[in-house]
Amino acid sequence: MKHEVLLGNEAIALGLVEQGCRVATAYPGTPSSEILDGVIKYKKQYARQVYTEWSVNEKVAFEIALAASWTGLRAAVAMKQVGLNAAADPLFSAAYTGVRGGLVIIPADDPGPHSSQTEQDSRLTALNAKVPVFDPACPAEARAMVEHAFALSERFSLPVILRPTTRLCHARQSLALSDVSPPDTPIPAVKFRKDPPRWAATPKLRYRLHVELNDKLRRVEAEFAGSPLNYVVDEGTSDRVGVIASGVAFHTARQALRELGVSVPLLKIGTPYPLPRGLVGKFVASLQAVVVLEEPDACIELQLLDRSRVRGRLDGMVPAAGELSPEAVSAVLADVLTDAGYKIAPPPDDPELQALIESLSLPVRKPRLCQGCPHRSAFFALKREFGPKAIFPSDIGCYTLGINLGAVDTCVDMGASVSMANGFYQANRLVGDARPIIVTIGDSTFLHSGIPPLINAVHTGVCFVLVILDNHITAMTGFQPTAASEKLADGGDAAHKVAIADLVYACGVTFVRVADPYDHENFRSTLREAYNHSQAPGGGVAVVIAESSCVLEDPSSLSQNPTPVVVTEACDGCRYCVEAFACPALVLRPDKSRVDIDYKICVACGQCIDACYKGFIVPQVMETAGSEL
Amino acid sequence: MNQQLAVTPTPTELKLVIAGLGGQGVIFTVCLLARTAVALGHSVMLSEIHGMSQRGGSVISHLRIGGSEAPLIRRGTADLLLALEPDEALRNLPFLRRGGVVFVNTEDGLRPEVAEHLERLEIQVLSLPATHMALELGSAAVTNVVLVGFAAAYPFLPLPIDALRETLAVIAPRGRELNLQALEAGYCAGRRAAGAERAVPGSQTFGAG
Repeated sequence: MKHEVLLGNEAIALGLVEQGCRVATAYPGTPSSEILDGVIKYKKQYARQVYTEWSVNEKVAFEIALAASWTGLRAAVAMKQVGLNAAADPLFSAAYTGVRGGLVIIPADDPGPHSSQTEQDSRLTALNAKVPVFDPACPAEARAMVEHAFALSERFSLPVILRPTTRLCHARQSLALSDVSPPDTPIPAVKFRKDPPRWAATPKLRYRLHVELNDKLRRVEAEFAGSPLNYVVDEGTSDRVGVIASGVAFHTARQALRELGVSVPLLKIGTPYPLPRGLVGKFVASLQAVVVLEEPDACIELQLLDRSRVRGRLDGMVPAAGELSPEAVSAVLADVLTDAGYKIAPPPDDPELQALIESLSLPVRKPRLCQGCPHRSAFFALKREFGPKAIFPSDIGCYTLGINLGAVDTCVDMGASVSMANGFYQANRLVGDARPIIVTIGDSTFLHSGIPPLINAVHTGVCFVLVILDNHITAMTGFQPTAASEKLADGGDAAHKVAIADLVYACGVTFVRVADPYDHENFRSTLREAYNHSQAPGGGVAVVIAESSCVLEDPSSLSQNPTPVVVTEACDGCRYCVEAFACPALVLRPDKSRVDIDYKICVACGQCIDACYKGFIVPQVMETAGSEL
Repeated sequence: MNQQLAVTPTPTELKLVIAGLGGQGVIFTVCLLARTAVALGHSVMLSEIHGMSQRGGSVISHLRIGGSEAPLIRRGTADLLLALEPDEALRNLPFLRRGGVVFVNTEDGLRPEVAEHLERLEIQVLSLPATHMALELGSAAVTNVVLVGFAAAYPFLPLPIDALRETLAVIAPRGRELNLQALEAGYCAGRRAAGAERAVPGSQTFGAG
């Protein structure tokens, strides 16, 4: 045995490979992205035959895994929680039809939220879809739960959900790993077996499948009542207060109780849906008050039939939004315990120090586009060309940070920028608003779900400019390849590159230009041309593909052709560049007298030269020449 | 079940908060500490931040050596704070317990306003111009490793320098020499400072003196 420090997502991936998962698909999204990366790592390390792919979106990823399961193979699909919305259609359907090989769906929830548009609870989606859920509390348990999940999925012929949260996905824990490769099993001798009444069920048969599904869930609930994943710690230490917790909140609650110096019964729930109501009801009945701690919403609590002794999100005891931080959990437990007459340790925080630190107005460090990012150049050009009057629908990705440059007005969900532009165009026509509509969307997001609304726009004669920010990669989530890449998920080069320009033409768009946002003049004239085309009679959508590699992923073009810059002595500290260009390497002096370049991080892209309209940011060579004069 | 899978917790627990800015190597630093602790037979649990929060911005990681599997450390309970930047040290000071220690990369110490509170809470500030030292070695990128070496010279961080060296050699195959030099430089500076402190009790380095 050796011990290694594994990321939560790697622990899940290891569990998948250990349990003979043969097909694993995903669409990248924080906090889930490292799950598929992990499967690729371990399939190579253990020389396992596992098909892995970054699918074009979550719905496609889900359906590919489902087909593998219907063939009889073990399959898994990973995504962030909002990705499960995109895959909700097949999820709900697959619950009725059931599966053959075990199918584990892994939507990573994001209480906080840290990097998401909502704090939605995938366990509630599962409740709605009628799919059982496993809710791990730490990386070690997540790895172990994969075995339970596959086994349950196959025993009941049901898809199952393994639901981690950000603090598990991005925790690292020391795990025991075998020194030898885990035993491999040969690929099972299975084939897709035709069964139209199930795999192609019509509404009448769907009714029967629903009845069957309800019966399966009753049996799963009975099984969960005896599951080792649900257990009580510190049993019998009190009959006044108890705690029910699932997921990461279990360890947070246990730690908080220790810090409060109190020992009360704590029921750990590893299977929040279908909730083993008998087991939990008995626990609740044995106590005077029970606190339910779960994230990000109330799933266990909702399923409790008698909530007269239950304190949680539904009665307002637990905050209804935000993460269950140690401080939040501690405060809830302290309140309930004090009410019940417990003596608890005083909180360890020092309010005076806290107040002083808050009064220091320390710099707020907002996330920004990286230094040298071509998206910044594109946004800067958009703003210069169309000004603050244009409506800028945008989308999900690094480029959401274009909000700092004032060129992002809306951000809804993957692909929404193009649909919102359809909507703004129609609404603006009704209300008599002639402002330009300028859309930005990334390459991966466009391929994910930007194409149907583009077809819609062409068909209905909508006019706007669509700028596809093509940096050749899914950058925000860690450089996963897209369908327009030369590489496949596991590095294989058998990929067929899908050409974004060809797709756009095929949607019926007649104006398509590719331009490098680093080449300011050409890029801006292309934008003008596009706008004029969109406004001309019979114009419609004009598409500009802003093509330039992500400089974090591929800095080669910069290192081959650097343009180091200096800020001249004449700089008057007007801060235009700092605010309008928002490059982390442009730093206003503390005394606000002038701007300096932070050469520790500057990548010499030279893009800020245009960001000073007074001409005080100049190429280094020019400045040297100038000083010699 | 997870008791069998996780490493058996050691009876004592050390809670660290590591703070800095995006690009300063907070995650590398915490990996260096965590993997060294595991090599010494301890269990570890740590949390880090990815995605949106990683593009610039404050980065913070919590590390628990031994003990609980809770990923986050409650304010007012951390034993040590390692800060790669002085403002991030201040921002995260409330994580420290009474009697905790902060190792901070700074030329000038922490702002004098906090001195009174640090004294009241018996918090020790041990500062080092780690960026300056890293630049002298050839790259600001090893600032974090200088600071780790510095902390390792004090008994508060019970990870022997040899063990840190071994981990570093494994996790930083590129630039190994530079990283080892950085660790050494920080450690030597720590040894000197720790020695001086023993000679002059109570001489701490906060304030812009």
